[in-house]
Amino acid sequence: MHISDGIISAPVCIAAHLVALGAVVVAGRNSTPDEIPKMGITGAALFVASLLHLPVAGTSLHPGLFGIAGVILGRRSFPVIYTALLFQSLAFQHGGLLTLGVNSINMAAGAYAAWAVWSIKGLPVSVRALVAGFAGVMLPALLMVVSFRVSGYPAQVGYLLVAYLVAASAEAVLTLFMVSFFLKVKPSVLAGGPEH
Amino acid sequence: MKHDFIDKYGTLSSPLHRLDPRVKIVCLFLAIVVIASEPLTSAIVPFLLYLVVVVSLTLISGVPFRYVIVRLLVASPFIVVAALFFSFTLYLTGGDGGPGSPETFIMPGVVIFSRAVLSVWLLILLTSTERFRRLLEGMRGLRLPPAVTTISALLYRYLFIIYDEVLRTTRARESRTPGRLRINRFRVYGNQLALIFIRSWDRSHTVYRSMLSRGFKGDFPGMQRLEAGWNDLVFAPLFLSVMIIIRIRAWERLI
Repeated sequence: MHISDGIISAPVCIAAHLVALGAVVVAGRNSTPDEIPKMGITGAALFVASLLHLPVAGTSLHPGLFGIAGVILGRRSFPVIYTALLFQSLAFQHGGLLTLGVNSINMAAGAYAAWAVWSIKGLPVSVRALVAGFAGVMLPALLMVVSFRVSGYPAQVGYLLVAYLVAASAEAVLTLFMVSFFLKVKPSVLAGGPEH
Repeated sequence: MKHDFIDKYGTLSSPLHRLDPRVKIVCLFLAIVVIASEPLTSAIVPFLLYLVVVVSLTLISGVPFRYVIVRLLVASPFIVVAALFFSFTLYLTGGDGGPGSPETFIMPGVVIFSRAVLSVWLLILLTSTERFRRLLEGMRGLRLPPAVTTISALLYRYLFIIYDEVLRTTRARESRTPGRLRINRFRVYGNQLALIFIRSWDRSHTVYRSMLSRGFKGDFPGMQRLEAGWNDLVFAPLFLSVMIIIRIRAWERLI
């Protein structure tokens, strides 16, 4: 899902980079001293997540954790995802420097969708967690396809979404178990949870 | 705990290693912009020239080619899929030049592949010719938003805490569930990830509180002062001029 440099057109990347930098400033403004380590450790978790491999359907996937990042960080997700993706592009060449803006917008959209779903208090926790995890992968995948289309790729690029259905389903179940664990052990971790 | 998985060759001493990190970040970023702006209708010659430049930089840096190739191979599956997908769909739909013309569907795929591989190569050179910590200082020097510089400084410190927890909990999981997990696989992995997070969370808060108690206000006084030297003044215009000359095909105008 991390788009490498050179794959999509440079003007799209530059425009997205400018939007992403604006979003980083707005979403990172006035953070409290308690939020800063939370942002740092969630960023580190997102970065390290790319080193873990979960066997699924005869292959292996690495969790993205964008859904759980939205559930934990809420509106602070954007600067954290931007920084984690910057680290991933530098350390492992997952994504690129030029596509950092596009990738951040795509993946932060997944985190914000997860946060929005998590904020619907009327739904059972398990449903919210499943949908948040699913949206955390599926929305970025959808936006990745949009990025390709904007760069002139043919409409058939939409078929890539089928491959991401498996990843999104796996991430949904993973998010459910992570949220259940957090609720049992340390509910204050979750956005809207009791303060510690 | 293994600390060099990010910047294994960052401590070498080559002309490229001695450049100011800010100059290196800006130059390599602009070079990626130049390469990525090549149109899909480009010929192969400019990419061969870019390749000569990138290979020369790698030779100067002293970073082993084997290391670069391995890193390229890790990043290549997505690139290959994107390039093949583009060519294949153009083949099915006929492309602008009409069906039956290989240039209309093969070359755009080759261009996408070349642009991406060269960009990734430059990115590998950027991280292999600088200590990761110095790269972060360079980004801070380039005035990235404060949120990014603060998070990146903390992220770099917490990274090793969380990586240590990953190794520890993975060893614990594997010793409890030898062989391949068949039942409750997602529950086990989900619990492991949540446990890693909670343990690191507690430790990160302790680290952060101790930083606050010592007067931390968002700045890292240990950071070195960066100063561009004469080598930076030579490298930046020379390197960027060569890239732009290739991009605008200056030789075609001269002939």
